[in-house]
Amino acid sequence: MSDELLVVRCQLGEREAFAELVQGWHPAVERYVGRMLGGSDDDVVQEIWLAVFKGLPKLRQPERFTPWLFIIARRAVMNRLRDAYARPEPEPVDDLPGADEAEEVVNRETLAGALAALPAREREVLLLFHLEDQPLDACAQICGVPVGTVKSRLNRARRLLRHELVRKGYEA
Amino acid sequence: MTPEEVLARLDAPLSLRRRVGYLALAFTGLTASALIGLLWATEPGLPTRTNVAFAVLVAIGLCWAVFGGWAVTRRAPLFARDRVVAGWLGIAAWLAFGVGALAISLLRHELEPALLGVVLLLGAVAALNLRAARRTRAALLRRRSELAGQATGNR
Repeated sequence: MSDELLVVRCQLGEREAFAELVQGWHPAVERYVGRMLGGSDDDVVQEIWLAVFKGLPKLRQPERFTPWLFIIARRAVMNRLRDAYARPEPEPVDDLPGADEAEEVVNRETLAGALAALPAREREVLLLFHLEDQPLDACAQICGVPVGTVKSRLNRARRLLRHELVRKGYEA
Repeated sequence: MTPEEVLARLDAPLSLRRRVGYLALAFTGLTASALIGLLWATEPGLPTRTNVAFAVLVAIGLCWAVFGGWAVTRRAPLFARDRVVAGWLGIAAWLAFGVGALAISLLRHELEPALLGVVLLLGAVAALNLRAARRTRAALLRRRSELAGQATGNR
C-alpha cells in the first residue's frame, strides 16, 4: 500500500492506518535518530511520532509525507543537538581528489559507524541521501537549505568521512 | 523501542472516545455558560452576591470550553471523521442553546430580536462548519478510493 493512501486513511481517522504507518516508518525514524544522536533515544522517537500524529490532519500534500516526516524528525533531533547546530558553518572546502572513493569502498554499516564522528550538518545530509535514499530536492526541503548547499555539504561530508575512515585504518 | 510500544504510548491521544469527550466538554461548557449568561442578563435588579455567583458559573463554563478547545487543537487533534462528529455536536449545542434561549425569552414574555439574530447567526455558523467538515471528509474518501483503485490496478 502506498504511503499516500496510508496518510489519507490516517487523515480520515482510521486508527489501524496509523498503526500501519508507524510500523512501516518506525525503523527509518529510529535509524535516523540513532545515527544523528550517536545512539537510540526513545524520548526523541516518541516526540517525533507524537508530532506526526498531531500534524497529520493539517498535512496538505499526503504524497509528500516522507520529507515532511524527516522535517519533523530533524526538528526533534535539532532540539537535542542545539549546541552542535548553533556553531557557525565552516567555509566550504573544495573536494579532495578521490573523495568519492570512500563511498564505494565501505559498506553501509561501516559508514554508519564512522558517521558518528562527523559534524551534525554533514552527518545529516549523508544519512538522508545515502542511507535513507532521499533525493537531493527532498534533502534540501528537509534541511531547509538550497539544493546547492546540500551538494556542498555532501562533498564536505564525504571528504570528512574519508578522513575519518582513513584514520580508522580503512585506507586499503 | 518497538512500533507497538510507540502505539501504546500514543494510545491516549489516539483514542476517539477521548477526543469526542473533549468536544462534548467544550460544547457543554459553552452552551451552559451562554444560557447562564442569558439568564443573568435578563434578570433585573439582582443583589451583588447573586451577580458574583452568576459570574463564577459563567467563568466555570468558559474554562471548560477553553480547556476542551485547547485539548482538541493541541493535545488530541481532530481528524476528518472527528470533525464531522464535532460538526454534529456543534449543531446539538446550538439546538440546546436555541431552545433554552427561546424558553427563557418566553418566560420573560418578550422575544428580543437581537437574541433571535444571535441564535440564527450561531445556527448558520454551526451548519457551515458541519458542511465544511463533511466536504473535507468526502474529498478524502474520494482520494482514498482513487488511490485504492490505483493500488489494485497495479497488482
